[in-house]
Amino acid sequence: MELLTGILFTAFLAGGVLGLAALGEVLSERVGVFNLGLEGLMALGGVTAIITVTIVPNPFVGILGSLAIGLVFGAVFATATVLFRANQVLCGLALTIMGTGLSASIGKNYAGHPAKVVFEGVAIPYLSDLPVLGKAFFSQNVMVYVVFIVLPIAVHFLMFKTRHGMKMRAVGENPAAADAAGIAVMTIRFWYVTIGASLAAAAGGYLTLAFVPSWSEGITAGRGWIATALVIFAGFRPFNAVLGALAFGIITSLGFVGQARNWPIAPAMLSTLPYLGTIAFMIVPVFVWKRMQQKMAAPAALGRPYFRDER
Amino acid sequence: MAFRLQRLPSVRPEIAVAAHAVAIGLAFVVGGIAVTISGHNAFTLAAKVLTASFGSEFGLEDFGLLFGPLMLTGLAAAVTLRIGLWNIGAEGQFYIGAVFATGVGLFFSGPPWLMLTAMFLAGGIGGALWILVPTLARAYANVNEIITTLLLNFVAVLVVNYLSTGLWRDRKQSVLGATARIPYEVPNLSGSLHAGILVAVAAVVLMALLIRYTRWGYEVRISGANIFAAHYAGIPVRSRLISVMLISGAIAGIAGMLEVAGTVHRLQGGISNNFGYLGIIVAVLAGGSPIGVVFSGFVMAVILNAGIILQAQGILLNDVLAMTGLILFFTAIGEQVAHYRIVATHVVAQEA
Repeated sequence: MELLTGILFTAFLAGGVLGLAALGEVLSERVGVFNLGLEGLMALGGVTAIITVTIVPNPFVGILGSLAIGLVFGAVFATATVLFRANQVLCGLALTIMGTGLSASIGKNYAGHPAKVVFEGVAIPYLSDLPVLGKAFFSQNVMVYVVFIVLPIAVHFLMFKTRHGMKMRAVGENPAAADAAGIAVMTIRFWYVTIGASLAAAAGGYLTLAFVPSWSEGITAGRGWIATALVIFAGFRPFNAVLGALAFGIITSLGFVGQARNWPIAPAMLSTLPYLGTIAFMIVPVFVWKRMQQKMAAPAALGRPYFRDER
Repeated sequence: MAFRLQRLPSVRPEIAVAAHAVAIGLAFVVGGIAVTISGHNAFTLAAKVLTASFGSEFGLEDFGLLFGPLMLTGLAAAVTLRIGLWNIGAEGQFYIGAVFATGVGLFFSGPPWLMLTAMFLAGGIGGALWILVPTLARAYANVNEIITTLLLNFVAVLVVNYLSTGLWRDRKQSVLGATARIPYEVPNLSGSLHAGILVAVAAVVLMALLIRYTRWGYEVRISGANIFAAHYAGIPVRSRLISVMLISGAIAGIAGMLEVAGTVHRLQGGISNNFGYLGIIVAVLAGGSPIGVVFSGFVMAVILNAGIILQAQGILLNDVLAMTGLILFFTAIGEQVAHYRIVATHVVAQEA
């Protein structure tokens, strides 16, 4: 029982990183822009959060720092992909390479030191005393609740229950028709790509302030890519995205438990689980849930820049 | 007289090349400004890089050791671009090629020429095997190959670390974090420069000929240009896709074999030097052309070499990595901007 509690507790904590980044990518992909720069944004957000809290020792300010750096680099990425209509795959890779390199050189003096302040778990009275699930569900830090409850509800409401959300989805499905209907395609794309990038950077702040909690080169370890894959697996839906993130949290958590309990598998091999799991998660649904395919399909204009003159 | 921008459907090759050159130039300008802000003289540093790379036989040999693998990983990424796919996993295929070659070199013995041939083949097979699952997933289930090939890079790094610090670690000389020295070496051309660079040039020429002059290459190009037209014309698109991806993996694997058997001589973590990731930039700058890879590989080798040389000046390899990202970014923008031309609009129509 204690084992199960431990696995779930770590699963929420670890999954939160992926969930936050995946929610950002959902916003970006729903308006039609494929952002492959999550890994770089996450690294930049992570190092920014660590540097911010050494100046202002408050984890929330740290996350604000990550959000801000995400806005800056997100705006640069959106300028290239939306306004200049540059190749989204190329710009995403460029952002990943740039962000990884830049964060490593900015953060070289901070590498390996524990974070000055971290997000502490808050035990909700009574509920956290519940057996088995109590500790895992009700004694997490604030960010976990934000990622798994507040943000998915907000994003779902925005995208599926408001007029503005319908416009967003129209821009991702058929920008030419949206444009003809008087929707500002470029504006909507620009802002949601930027906001999505900002959330991905915040995921980096979460990583270095709540999960690890410290900064070192290569700390993101492919989480940005896993989050990108998660969005496809989640059928571009916010609740599915955080549920998927939780599933990956469980896989990661099993790896930790395996190492702690000396399972007869090499730790390095346990560490491959999230990556191999992601690949399996990308391939298996295609064969198993054939019927779901249409419902879970990508926005029709995903990855395609919009040229008004080619309408 | 008013002006407006007109978008052209295709770009003349000389304009495309110019756009890439401008992109690289702009990235250097930004890099130079950053270097100046951090208190260095950009021109002194640039001069230092050029003399250190090309001013001595030593420097040239070191440069060649970077140029060879960059041509190969660039070629690996370039061939998949021809069919409209992305192999972002050359880094992982490079590692696994090195693993397979090391396995053959450490655990079998025979005459050197035979062993080197076997290691060469093993490297290619290792690289191809590493891209097999993403390839089949793409061919039969339309699974995004960018993410699958990339994720396997992380797995490959873990495999290499596991082997070099665990199962295959050096037990004779106890070199930390590496396997024993492989007793077979790629012959040297001059000083430390081994024959791998000739293999790279041969591979580039071979692929250029295959793509340009064979039926296979024609079908690959058509599939890349317009997949629907290719289907309609009866081209076996799926089988071409699979062959291109596997060849790409094999090329990256061979690069790994040459690195481990020619330069490093032991399997250890980090032997790939980011060659796999830089290869993507090489391929993009080359516009997917094998011959173009020679030129863009050269540029990238200068940049990577600059990173190594400037470490003594307090500039990190990571700064250089950030700058290569900037090059890629400007190139992506430049490719679009090259599509536009400014035309004068005449104000005649208004009178009617």
